[in-house]
Amino acid sequence: MKYALQIAFMAISVLAWSNMARAAEEWGLPEEKITRFEAKVVDVLCELSGDCPKACGGGNRQLGLLDGKGKLILPLKNNVIFAGTTDELIGFCGKQVIADGLLTTNRGYTVFALQFVKEVPNGKWQRANRFLPKWAKQNGVAENSPKAERWFENDPRVKALVEKDGKLGLGLKVDEEFLAKQ
Amino acid sequence: MKKGTLFAIAALIAAAMAGPATAATAKRVKLTGEIIDSWCYITEIMYAEGSAHHQCALWCAAGGVPVGILGEDGQVYMVLKLGQDDTSVANPAILRIQSHRVTVDGSVYERDGIKYIVVNKVVDDSGIVNLTHDEYGIQPFGK
Repeated sequence: MKYALQIAFMAISVLAWSNMARAAEEWGLPEEKITRFEAKVVDVLCELSGDCPKACGGGNRQLGLLDGKGKLILPLKNNVIFAGTTDELIGFCGKQVIADGLLTTNRGYTVFALQFVKEVPNGKWQRANRFLPKWAKQNGVAENSPKAERWFENDPRVKALVEKDGKLGLGLKVDEEFLAKQ
Repeated sequence: MKKGTLFAIAALIAAAMAGPATAATAKRVKLTGEIIDSWCYITEIMYAEGSAHHQCALWCAAGGVPVGILGEDGQVYMVLKLGQDDTSVANPAILRIQSHRVTVDGSVYERDGIKYIVVNKVVDDSGIVNLTHDEYGIQPFGK
């Protein structure tokens, strides 16, 4: 009996945790506001121009969050270093979601960093870090490998450009001379 | 009413309903500016212009962060399309011109304080001319 109660308690705890409201973390951005809002996931170009391919472009287009007042909020960042939000939102194309993260206002622009997302009404909270497992799979490495953690330094597209033009983009000789002075 | 007229009206209604109700009006422009990473520039989490930020701008573009054009007017234009390319997420063609000073022909939309651009054509590409690395080093890690 005691054992059964313990299992039941653990099960309830796990369920409660999985449905618990996730809270965005502060990042210290300019005029940062922890923000949670309901919105429809839209293809930004479709929303603006009426050029609307199927399924929000299948992950090839920048996605936006259209709130209940018709305001189009642009999410620029997810929860992975140097990565955006398309992989986080494409599964919700055309659906209502709760977006949780940070609104930041600077240089006259207000943009959004997405940290958690779930479908309305009963979806499960998902941390906005789907980019990484996708990248790891595409590049044949384990999601928790050092190569995936530093994905940006191991990305073959970036590596090819840096190997050709240097880190400064000005040619390998300029890089060499500059780095020698550092 | 003739059948043909009814079909035409139905087709018009269907076409109107296919797109969003709030589609904005585009303004045709010729815009000159620097290709930038929008996140680092807008948030100023680091110095984010020119050669100092080139490598980081490549990382962010490859990661799918929207790429912008920092126009001579000081405004950021989020690039939603480049030519006939079907992607604006980690588009290899955009990576190749990251941090370059370009002149583009395109259509600008504005919505809720953000400017967006559909680039029809890059009409001039001066390469990277904003040499900022001597002052700012290599952002963000210094190497």
